[in-house]
Amino acid sequence: MPTISLQQVTIEFPIYNARTRSLTGELFRRAVGGRITSNHNRIVLVTALQDINLELGDGDRLGLIGHNGAGKSTLLRVLAGIYEPSSGQARINGSVASLTDITMGMDIESTGYENILLRGVFLGMHGAQVRRLIPDIEEFTELGEFLKLPLRTYSTGMMLRLAFAITTAVIPEILIMDEMIGAGDAAFLTKATARLNQMISQSRIFVIASHDIEIIRRFCNKAALMETGRIVYMGPVEQIISAYRNGESRPGPGGQLTTAAMDT
Amino acid sequence: MSSVAEVTNAPPGPKRMREELALARRDLQRGLGDWRTWLLLGWNDIRQRYQRSRVGQFWITVSMLVNIAALGVIYSYLFRMSMADYLPSLAMGIIVWALIAGMVTEACSVFTSAEHYLRQVPMAKSIFVHRMLVRGLITFAHNIAIVPLLYLVFGIRPGWRIALAPIGLAIVTVNGFWIGLLVGSLCARFRDLPQIVASFMQIAFFVTPVMWKPGQLPPTMWWVVDLNPFASLLALIREPLLGGVPGRSAYVIGFAVMAIGFIVTIPFFARFRGRIIYWL
Repeated sequence: MPTISLQQVTIEFPIYNARTRSLTGELFRRAVGGRITSNHNRIVLVTALQDINLELGDGDRLGLIGHNGAGKSTLLRVLAGIYEPSSGQARINGSVASLTDITMGMDIESTGYENILLRGVFLGMHGAQVRRLIPDIEEFTELGEFLKLPLRTYSTGMMLRLAFAITTAVIPEILIMDEMIGAGDAAFLTKATARLNQMISQSRIFVIASHDIEIIRRFCNKAALMETGRIVYMGPVEQIISAYRNGESRPGPGGQLTTAAMDT
Repeated sequence: MSSVAEVTNAPPGPKRMREELALARRDLQRGLGDWRTWLLLGWNDIRQRYQRSRVGQFWITVSMLVNIAALGVIYSYLFRMSMADYLPSLAMGIIVWALIAGMVTEACSVFTSAEHYLRQVPMAKSIFVHRMLVRGLITFAHNIAIVPLLYLVFGIRPGWRIALAPIGLAIVTVNGFWIGLLVGSLCARFRDLPQIVASFMQIAFFVTPVMWKPGQLPPTMWWVVDLNPFASLLALIREPLLGGVPGRSAYVIGFAVMAIGFIVTIPFFARFRGRIIYWL
């Protein structure tokens, strides 16, 4: 049974400049000791998420709402297991797929079929398991003979079709999306939407960040309003949407800036 | 798609250290288990590099041959040694050095070049170290094709001792693993480190008996070779290829470097594994 449990999760991004990035600069700083204490010896920290508590289980469909820089994408990356908390605890149990960049790992010099294999292996599949996906992808993309050609011969639309088909070929337990993805012309879009809807409904836990209220209404059964790295409200979708519309969250720049002498 | 991502962050102390070590161990285990991924990534790196050239990846072999021929002729005159005496040892030296130096310099970009993947998918970090090693070994396999040619031209019969070469190769590769993990992480954090490593390897090349033979040094300079771990790693593969047996000290140093390397790298990786993504 897939579960997500975040307790007091805080994410701080160190912002390095050329000086704090360089080993020679670092050694010099250590050697000089405390004598130079101007600000550029310190590392600027951006608190992107602060004290996030979140429990999700089977059947939860969570929509994240908030202004740009509120921390939605960072939270999605914590849920996908990419960012480990600076403090607090994150436990994510279950297979996770994050549909943020659907063309990840695709190689334009390889053929369509080779790319299917490449992505399948990334998802942890064996050759035989990948081959079982091929008929479905062939039918869905309608790329025909093009699948035997390198990706550099594809148009942008064809490339997106293939990426979309591969990405949606396997249904994860936990599905994470940053804005709704769509691909291609009108006819293909209908097909793609149907396929995506099926993927969403078959996943056990679904989390999406979107500025489109209608998307949240349609796919989610709970919502969270985020503001400067915190979850300010969480609850039933309509309640959160009206809180958002009533301007109860202030648009503000991303996380808080702090300077600290960090060890890393 | 990751099967399970479990992350924890207890306050600093023995409990935190235990948890970090457990997570590091899982990263290493998952990395080994994902051999399909790193074999494919490594192969693709080589393929992409030589994709549209006519002879493909055999450029690796061709350029190595040209290198050996040029250096072999010039230096056998400079050192006043007979070609038959000097060239085979130089050739094997350059081939093996290319492997060792390649692993160290490419260790620098293990994580920085994988930024795109690491930002999208919670893959085991160690996968990218294996990928670098696969790339190095594939390149080495192309260069090793020159060795039978040398046997033929110079009438060398290495005999049974050539069976020791794979053992040396294994020792070098396992050392390459900790170097990739440690140097790869450090280079993600400190962006001027790759240049420092490149200069370091340049110096290492000159103080390691690749172009010259240990016998050319005055006896008082014994330590340049005997205390140089690169000389030992080099000997572990080169000597068997030439039909000799590496000295016992080469094995001792090879294993000692491996042990010290892992003793340093494992706690380091456990402590900073979760930070790598923030450094990219």
